[in-house]
Amino acid sequence: MSSAAVEIDGLSKSFGKVHAVSDLSFEVQAGRVTGFLGPNGAGKSTTLRMLLGLIHSDSGRGSFGGHRYEDLEHPSAQVGVVLEDASFHPGRSGRNHLRVLAAAGSHPDSRVDEVLERVGLTGAAHRRVKGYSMGMRQRLAIAAALLGDPRVLVLDEPANGLDPAGIRWMRDLLRAEAARGNAVLVSSHLLSEVAQSVDDVVVIAHGSLRASGSLEEVLGGADGPVTRVRAAEPERLAAVLSEAGVRTEALSGALVAPGSTPERVGRLAADHGLALTELVAVSRSLEDAFFELTADQS
Amino acid sequence: MTPLLRAEVLKLRTTRTFIAFAALAVGTSLLIAGLVSLLTEPTQDSVLADVFTSDTSSLFIIILAVVGISGEWRHRTITSSLLAAPDRVRFLAAKTLAFAVVGLLLSLSISISVAVLGFIILSARDLPTPGLGELAAQVGHIASEAMLLGAFGVCVGALVRNQVVAVVGLLLLSFAVEPVLIGLVPNVFRYAPFVALPTAVSAIPADQSGLGDVDLLAPGLAALAMLAWIAGTFAVSAVLLRARDLN
Repeated sequence: MSSAAVEIDGLSKSFGKVHAVSDLSFEVQAGRVTGFLGPNGAGKSTTLRMLLGLIHSDSGRGSFGGHRYEDLEHPSAQVGVVLEDASFHPGRSGRNHLRVLAAAGSHPDSRVDEVLERVGLTGAAHRRVKGYSMGMRQRLAIAAALLGDPRVLVLDEPANGLDPAGIRWMRDLLRAEAARGNAVLVSSHLLSEVAQSVDDVVVIAHGSLRASGSLEEVLGGADGPVTRVRAAEPERLAAVLSEAGVRTEALSGALVAPGSTPERVGRLAADHGLALTELVAVSRSLEDAFFELTADQS
Repeated sequence: MTPLLRAEVLKLRTTRTFIAFAALAVGTSLLIAGLVSLLTEPTQDSVLADVFTSDTSSLFIIILAVVGISGEWRHRTITSSLLAAPDRVRFLAAKTLAFAVVGLLLSLSISISVAVLGFIILSARDLPTPGLGELAAQVGHIASEAMLLGAFGVCVGALVRNQVVAVVGLLLLSFAVEPVLIGLVPNVFRYAPFVALPTAVSAIPADQSGLGDVDLLAPGLAALAMLAWIAGTFAVSAVLLRARDLN
């Protein structure tokens, strides 16, 4: 059995003749924030809903620690969820909305006030939800996800409706949850935001996996990580790297090493007593990578 | 089941719709009982049916139940409900049970209030009052009707899902279609679930419910028939709910 906190294994789903998701597999590890990216209509929401048992998959399986969501004993204590179209009864107050969910999940009422405080809605807790702004509704949805203090968070476009301060707050929340050892799977179309928040990335288009791995790996493209290095003795450095099997190309007075990390290049240079004047990881922006990977759908 | 049941009752208590409907049920029931007690002179034989059957909670609880379950789709709260309770059949069972319990409690509290009001007014006018035993039995019959209609309303609402269609359809069936059909084909439509069977469960005479001289089932038998309707509609609703994708 996989040690992943979340495992998507060969999920497929068609709606009539439309293949929404095709044989999709990836994992989300504990203690890391995984960005789930794709153009509109790529199948992100369908995938998350299949993972949560809201949509029946045609084949494949989504699981949390090896268990399907519907088989979890106290699901809200293990998985916190924010879906893109989080909806509320307009006539119910924010606090009462959470009280209902707390009752269903067997969480004490005290948790309601704790999560309201955490998302900054204490002052509006007794107001009816129909008077909430979009950002307040999003915070309420996040509060609901945090009610059971879950080990896994699944968030579909959680930054929707948040103002810049709210987005920063969300980023800090994601990082704090990962720092506590929790797994966070977050879908988003805000690439710049994702780039600042995530450890790992999964990119899909047309329902199929296009790339997955650490942010560095995905940004490195097909060659993997790319390192640019400058040395006082560039010819000697090129020879050392070549002997070690590191492919290099000369570029504007520097050496570029596709497929090698700065750690490897730096270690080889140090081992041979070579002084370096520059050693950097060269990467595409996430936006470049995204458009390259999803070019046929974007 | 208990946490889900608590959650469903809490859902009901925390909306203004329930408060408004409960207030309407209390208000209309007391108004009818008060007016009949004040303006008519019931005999010992008729006083129970004339004054002490004015509890209108059954009508309101079935509408509330239909609104409650169809509102899950209307407001799209069905998603968060099923995330909290992924076993869809348990969710539906909890909602069905919750509305049955609320119907029972609402009816009991209204019937007891009606009884107190009726006794006070009739005693003050030196008019006959029913025996406590037969009054308690009548209260039990009406409460059973409300309980069964609360459960049935959830199952009907889960089948239809569209709130407007469900409520309008319910009112049409209850006030137009079924009363007409039972007059035309009484042997068949005395088993119908919106008017005939609930009236029979409540032990209120058919003519007092606008059903003419139809020979309704005995209360116990009618309750069993209602339970069969509830079981049937619950089963179909559960199968559909389990099969549906929540996009």
